[in-house]
Amino acid sequence: MSDQWTDRLSEYLDGDLPEAEHAALEAHLAECPTCASVLNELRRVVGRARALEPRSPVHELWPGIAARIGATAALPGVEPLAGRRRPLRRLSFSLPQLAAAGIALTAISSAAAWMLHPDMPAVAVSSPSPARPSAISVGSNPTAAQSYAAAVDDLERVLAAGRGQLDTATVRVIEQNLAVIDRAIVQAQRAVLADSANLYLNSHLAETMRRKLELLRQAAALVSTMS
Amino acid sequence: MALVQTDTTVAVERGQRLQVSAHTGEIVVKTWARNAVRVQSATSDRGRVAVVTSATVVRVRTEGRHGPASIELQITAPAWMAVDLSGVYTDISVAGAGGPVAVETVQGDVDVEGGVGLVSLRSVQGSVTLRRAKGRIEVHSVNEDVEVLGGGGEIEAETVNGDITLNGVAASSLTATTVNGEVEYDGPIRDGGRYSLSSHNGDLTLTVAPGTNASVSVSTFNGEFESEFPVTLKETRKGKRFSFTIGAGSAQVTLESFQGTISLIRPGSSRAEHDDH
Repeated sequence: MSDQWTDRLSEYLDGDLPEAEHAALEAHLAECPTCASVLNELRRVVGRARALEPRSPVHELWPGIAARIGATAALPGVEPLAGRRRPLRRLSFSLPQLAAAGIALTAISSAAAWMLHPDMPAVAVSSPSPARPSAISVGSNPTAAQSYAAAVDDLERVLAAGRGQLDTATVRVIEQNLAVIDRAIVQAQRAVLADSANLYLNSHLAETMRRKLELLRQAAALVSTMS
Repeated sequence: MALVQTDTTVAVERGQRLQVSAHTGEIVVKTWARNAVRVQSATSDRGRVAVVTSATVVRVRTEGRHGPASIELQITAPAWMAVDLSGVYTDISVAGAGGPVAVETVQGDVDVEGGVGLVSLRSVQGSVTLRRAKGRIEVHSVNEDVEVLGGGGEIEAETVNGDITLNGVAASSLTATTVNGEVEYDGPIRDGGRYSLSSHNGDLTLTVAPGTNASVSVSTFNGEFESEFPVTLKETRKGKRFSFTIGAGSAQVTLESFQGTISLIRPGSSRAEHDDH
């Protein structure tokens, strides 16, 4: 599926290509549906990442979260993230890293869940499903996988700590839907293992994992609302 | 327990919006031509309804003497008024809205007719149905179906464990995604538009009218692809991934189902009629 331009798409998206190559790639895109499709998928990931950007964790939580995701922690006295106008995130991906990049960026955003229960004690959460994925093995970015797992753990702790605030039927529905997503994640992971270069499978896995974070975040927000 | 009924009408001016919150029960909003909001309620003697107005908002709140009480609210408002409705164990319906609509509930169904501008409907455990809305449309459920009938605009439809049906909708762009359910889009595919339908476990059905111009990308892992009309594959990639062009190809269509069947059908197809919910 790749040609000489496939690995240049990220640079193209970031506006980093020299003018001549930029023009040549645009001409190529008009004729190559594969590259056009890959470019669309890259745009989708970048779009999601940018859409998630404004959710910043509260100041005092940021250093710990930043350490997890490998970002620079704000120093005391530095302007809080939430109040600062930041430039748009620039993202560069090699194709095998696509899923990991999406997950990492989602994980950064999910840290906002910490805002809901900053003094939350660490408590065990019951596994919502026997099919719950035990390890994330997508892409080639262990930091992203770790960030994702940590973000899921954080949100599950919020949910576990606050499940008493929710109606039992609501808790049951959330857990059933988390189980549906977990099963999909496991299936997608197996598919990626069988065909790791498949862009669709990587993208689908990243998207399904994002859905889990989104549902957990929604559940955590419900807990907050009910408290 | 005695049932208490109230009936309050307040005058409103353009620019004011309606904000209603009811923890448990039902919210029904209808519209009329008068510049006034009428709030009719029925609740037990433990419940209370408060209508508070300011320069920008008419706020209707419900509360119980000892925690939330179940309340039925019927509200009549000008069609131009933006409405913002929320509840927890609350069914919410709106008819005839001519402005932005925002609805959020946890255990309840959402049924909205109308809406212009930003129309955002969310339920966790209930179904979400939207008819004839125009603008930026966001329809989300978690455990039930999402249905958009008529209207159009930029549409984002999402659920986890349910089907997504868009019927007679003129979407200029569309993102419809579910994990465990089917996705159907029956409406025009506009030149330059972007349409993305995806599911993990379900089938996708896209109605393609003659004369459509679209570049179509199809991806599946364990599913199938079928089309009621011939397509010429331009690019086939490893796995079940391929793309093709219909007409001039100006719209971008992405169809992805991990293990469902992806179908292209013509308007009025017998298959669509048989599959109708």
